[in-house]
Amino acid sequence: MPPVSRWSFAGFAFAVAVLLPAAKARADDDMIERLAACAACHGARGEGAPGAEYYPHLAGKPAGYLLEQLQGFRDGRRQSPQMTWLVQFMDDAWMREIAAFYAAQPPRTRAADTGAAALTADLRARAETLVRDGDKAAGVPACAACHGADLAGVEPGVPALVGLPADYVIAQLGGWREGVRRGVAPDCMADVANKLTPDHIRAVAVWLSQQSHDDGRRPAPAGSVVSPVACGGLAHAAVTP
Amino acid sequence: MSRASRWITRAFVATPFVLLALAVGGALFGLQGGFAPYAVPPAGTGGERVDADAATIARGEYLARLGNCATCHTTRGGTPLAGGRAFVTDYGTIHSTNLTPDVATGLGEWSRDEFRHAMRHGVSRHGVLYPVFPYANFAALTDVDLDALFAYLRSLAPAVAAAPPNRLEFPASWRGALVGWRMLTYRPAPFADDPKQSPQWNRGRYLVDGLGHCAMCHGERGMLGSLPREGYLAGGRIPGLGWYAPPLDERQLARFDVEQLAGYLRSGVSERGAAYGPMAEVVYSSLKHLTDADATAMATYLKSIPAHPLPRANTLAAPLGATAAGNGRRLYEEHCADCHGRDGRGRGLDHPPLDRAVSLTAPDPINAVRIVLYGAVPPTTARNPRPHSMPPFAQKLASADIAAVVSYARAAWGSQPIPVSSDDVQRLHGIVLD
Repeated sequence: MPPVSRWSFAGFAFAVAVLLPAAKARADDDMIERLAACAACHGARGEGAPGAEYYPHLAGKPAGYLLEQLQGFRDGRRQSPQMTWLVQFMDDAWMREIAAFYAAQPPRTRAADTGAAALTADLRARAETLVRDGDKAAGVPACAACHGADLAGVEPGVPALVGLPADYVIAQLGGWREGVRRGVAPDCMADVANKLTPDHIRAVAVWLSQQSHDDGRRPAPAGSVVSPVACGGLAHAAVTP
Repeated sequence: MSRASRWITRAFVATPFVLLALAVGGALFGLQGGFAPYAVPPAGTGGERVDADAATIARGEYLARLGNCATCHTTRGGTPLAGGRAFVTDYGTIHSTNLTPDVATGLGEWSRDEFRHAMRHGVSRHGVLYPVFPYANFAALTDVDLDALFAYLRSLAPAVAAAPPNRLEFPASWRGALVGWRMLTYRPAPFADDPKQSPQWNRGRYLVDGLGHCAMCHGERGMLGSLPREGYLAGGRIPGLGWYAPPLDERQLARFDVEQLAGYLRSGVSERGAAYGPMAEVVYSSLKHLTDADATAMATYLKSIPAHPLPRANTLAAPLGATAAGNGRRLYEEHCADCHGRDGRGRGLDHPPLDRAVSLTAPDPINAVRIVLYGAVPPTTARNPRPHSMPPFAQKLASADIAAVVSYARAAWGSQPIPVSSDDVQRLHGIVLD
């Protein structure tokens, strides 16, 4: 091998091994600095923040899902005065970049300790059935049918259900029932929430909050899970009903 | 004395008072413009076009952006310009109306003349309009600009959207009462270029006083929510929003040069401060669309406005004590100095300087308290597409600590030695942010 190309190979290897990670770290630091407002509740990399246990983690959630939520707070499909206040004058391009940043962070789906009361054996069994199999008689699909068998979410539009505080999940399902959280029509989660009883919502939320994954469990790849119900929010994810 | 003669005496005594009342009423009626504002021109034929070539419509669109029609006439996530946004005032809640050319619920049947008339006089086929609509400013617009605006609105897709009913208390609920309001407070004045000033200055004043309707937030309010001439751009608490708008004049804007101020208007950031709250909204939906020339014209005019008298200093309250100042300084260095610097100078466009920042020099501390409580993000604009953000501290610091750090910063960089109290902060907890 002539010396020149040996040197260029060495340079290339150096770039891959040292410069690229360094550049990525710098880009991450830059985003972390810009997103200081988000870190107060969600943590610098979206891993969650101490003392802010109600708020969902963002790290490693699918970028399409995160973008849809940011747009929802801006455009009135989701209600959180604090979130709307911070994102209301952001354009789609910046929202897309923010979503991509959090999506690229290492997921953290440990059990969310919110001090939820333990479930009775009956309710625990019922919750697990709803999560794994759904309730065919009531027309409720299983959580796992869309969010993945391990409930770690599916790229690019379905979020993980593990690692969320029970209070947060209860509030979201309540929001769908009341119409204050809305997805793009057809709003599959609103249908699901309206078919669940309040007792079952609580049971499922508590059960989910007690599940745990090792750090770094990523959402399932795009196309690996086909949703059994029509979800407008997944139109961009090319999921057919 | 007979009953008849008693009545005659009473009539004699009363007559001068009645005449005086009529004379005063007549004079006030004349001052608000006489009968002319109430002579609404006839409706159009439903589909009237106003010189609707593409260039005119494009110019109308630019003017609609400068006038920020869409911010008031659009709900969150709703059809642009289809109205329905609620405005909470001291007199109740008022909803904006549908500006799209739908016949039943919008401007579909309006004629060009009716549009011109409503814009200039605040009176339409529906009666006298509530003064949340800035007709006192729009009265300055030229026929050409009003017609371009109308042409643009006519070019929109008609949206069926009836405004929700207003919820106002009597007498504000009765539009006739607005004639009385106008008699007491409204003084239309002709608007003409000042030949002693440059065309650029005149263009700037036309945009500031006309379409820009800056006075709606930056004017000092007088009796019954009015905007008297003597409070012209003198600043104050914005009605219904819970934000303070600073005066706009040569002293307030001395920290900017014209180019920096023009840049701030278009980008929402500058080395002298960033736009937050309602001003972020104005930049995001309106000012970021300004041409370079128009932004420079506005900045030129704004910096020429003679300084308003400074508000009288509060001599009753005690200035910040040494212990509280020490506590505030410690908190500042722990939570704020990384971005804003120990010296309060900030860092370029990323972290605004606190030295002479509006929120710190303002007599009203509400902006500073709100920004510390709930954080803030300047708008995304072409020149600042990836804004830095200020984190919220509501969940991190107690009200007493927020009071201490805001008091310290106001004393250090705002020449405002009167401290903010823990109660002042507590009152803003849970304030409606939208």
